[in-house]
Amino acid sequence: MRGTANPKLMLMILSAVFAFLYIPISVLFALSFNEGGLPTVWTGFSVKWYGELFRNGDIMGAALNTLIVAIISTILATILGTLLAVGVEIRRRKGRFLETIIFAPMIIPDIVLAIALLSFFSLLNFTMGLHTIIVSHVVFNLAFVCSVVRARLKTFDWSIVEASTDLGAPMITTLWRVILPVMLPAVIAGALLAFTLSLDEFIIAFFTAGAGRDSITLPMQIFAMIRFGVTPEINALAAIVMTVSVIILALSQRLNRGGLPGQ
Amino acid sequence: MSQPLLSIKGATKHFGAVRAIDGIDLDIHENEFFALLGASGSGKTTLLRMLAGFEVPDAGQIILDGEDVSRIPPNHRPVNLMFQSYALFPHMSVFQNIAYGLEMEKLPKAQIKSRVDEILDVIQLGDLARRKPDQLSGGQRQRVALARALVKRPRLLLLDEPLGALDKKLRGEMQLELKRIQHEFGITFIIVTHDQEEALVMADRVAILKDGKLLQSGTPREIYEHPGSRFAADFIGVMNFFPVREKAGKLIADDGSVITAGTPLSAGEKGVAAVRPERLSLSLSRTAKAENSTTGTVVATAYHGLDLQVHLKTPAAPDPILIRLTADVAEARPVATGDEITVYWATRDTRAFPL
Repeated sequence: MRGTANPKLMLMILSAVFAFLYIPISVLFALSFNEGGLPTVWTGFSVKWYGELFRNGDIMGAALNTLIVAIISTILATILGTLLAVGVEIRRRKGRFLETIIFAPMIIPDIVLAIALLSFFSLLNFTMGLHTIIVSHVVFNLAFVCSVVRARLKTFDWSIVEASTDLGAPMITTLWRVILPVMLPAVIAGALLAFTLSLDEFIIAFFTAGAGRDSITLPMQIFAMIRFGVTPEINALAAIVMTVSVIILALSQRLNRGGLPGQ
Repeated sequence: MSQPLLSIKGATKHFGAVRAIDGIDLDIHENEFFALLGASGSGKTTLLRMLAGFEVPDAGQIILDGEDVSRIPPNHRPVNLMFQSYALFPHMSVFQNIAYGLEMEKLPKAQIKSRVDEILDVIQLGDLARRKPDQLSGGQRQRVALARALVKRPRLLLLDEPLGALDKKLRGEMQLELKRIQHEFGITFIIVTHDQEEALVMADRVAILKDGKLLQSGTPREIYEHPGSRFAADFIGVMNFFPVREKAGKLIADDGSVITAGTPLSAGEKGVAAVRPERLSLSLSRTAKAENSTTGTVVATAYHGLDLQVHLKTPAAPDPILIRLTADVAEARPVATGDEITVYWATRDTRAFPL
């Protein structure tokens, strides 16, 4: 490097940035173990708030809803997004228009997408509920899965598809036995990303949920609870959600980076 | 001769405004080792992909075993292609790669295993059957790709630049290996290559393609000895060219000397007289006639073991001409850079081509 920057100064700035990012999260983690439950006084280490959390029926119900939404929307988005990515890549020679519009749900602000979906469902006279949240989550997760899978497809050797055809395989067999296995790390990475995004998505779920408790997801539950102040239970819940998200994201990153066999 | 295995009749293919294949007619017979030779952009790969079924001709027919297959998709043709990049399945072992095509035929497991084992023996990779492609060397991968196509016992095996990715020594070995395997299996091979030497060494017959057209086809000897055009003469082997102009039935070189050729030019036409380096000799032998000669200065010599290559600057040609002297000739009459020498050659070894 040729720079004149002072390495000590650089280190300080870097530390400040990371402190800014991670101190609030650390505080949240610490408070979730605070016996007394007050955000201002540390009274001792305890896991009792985690226990409280699991005894809270509202929270557990919301958590179940969230898992249902995340799992179903991830499965749908992964299947559709992967097929979409393959299809777009095959048709790529015929113009880039498709490429551009696919990623729209990633770029459009969540609030806009939320309003759009709400209007759409109202127009069709849909009864809102978990299913509308699932469909809405598929909409934006599709774009994310598609983009992850497409990134891998860019380095995909298409001659193996032709080789499979040449050896007598119909397209569906080629997809199942050649394209999918080679793409699998990227597909799983896309699915994990979709799962985490769905897990903590608030705005769109909030707009497309039905009335009553039946379609309340975890982020909506937290939002509802937080209006009466941050409780230690929420800290514990947030700590769990974040840990799960970080683990899944790390896994997804790893999968996507790790090379294919034979690549 | 009996009905050809493969008849290409007036095959034509456009990509946009480009004519990749322009009315090619070609017959290929059972058990032939046939080479499609051409520079990049000559259409040779498009023609091969057409035979495999990956391109549909805009016009013309591809007749295999008496049946027009030009519209039959690749997975329903008794034709297999060995890809230039080998296109091995990265997630499958050597065994699985080779077995794949047989599984598509829905053969019983035991039969698949015996056929894969058999072909693994032929390509001598039995020990590596469990390896993945990325654990193989380039040469091994090439053999797996060959085995994978061959194991299906196609009527026609197409090979797209099969030796392109190998180093020179390995390439020489594989040329002979491919010929041996072709002979052993009795399968018709069509190989695409830009390497004229490879085509001459391996093929029973060669077709030269240029700009999507078939320029000439024939045995390697026919094409080498009797190139049909200036392009073919230049493309195959090494050729010395003397620019000439026809004048009153004679060919006059740039320096005013007269060259006589086995083939004529029309009156007043400009062209070239061509002669192979090995047809040039240093002395007039009593037995062979040598009507042509030119004198020049040796600008370089290169020792190649079996022969000595001499570059001679002569006023009859713009570039130095090449002479190939066998080792015994070179020993009997040493030639060094700076020497002034005269070379002789016969009319029947000389061909004239219009520009």
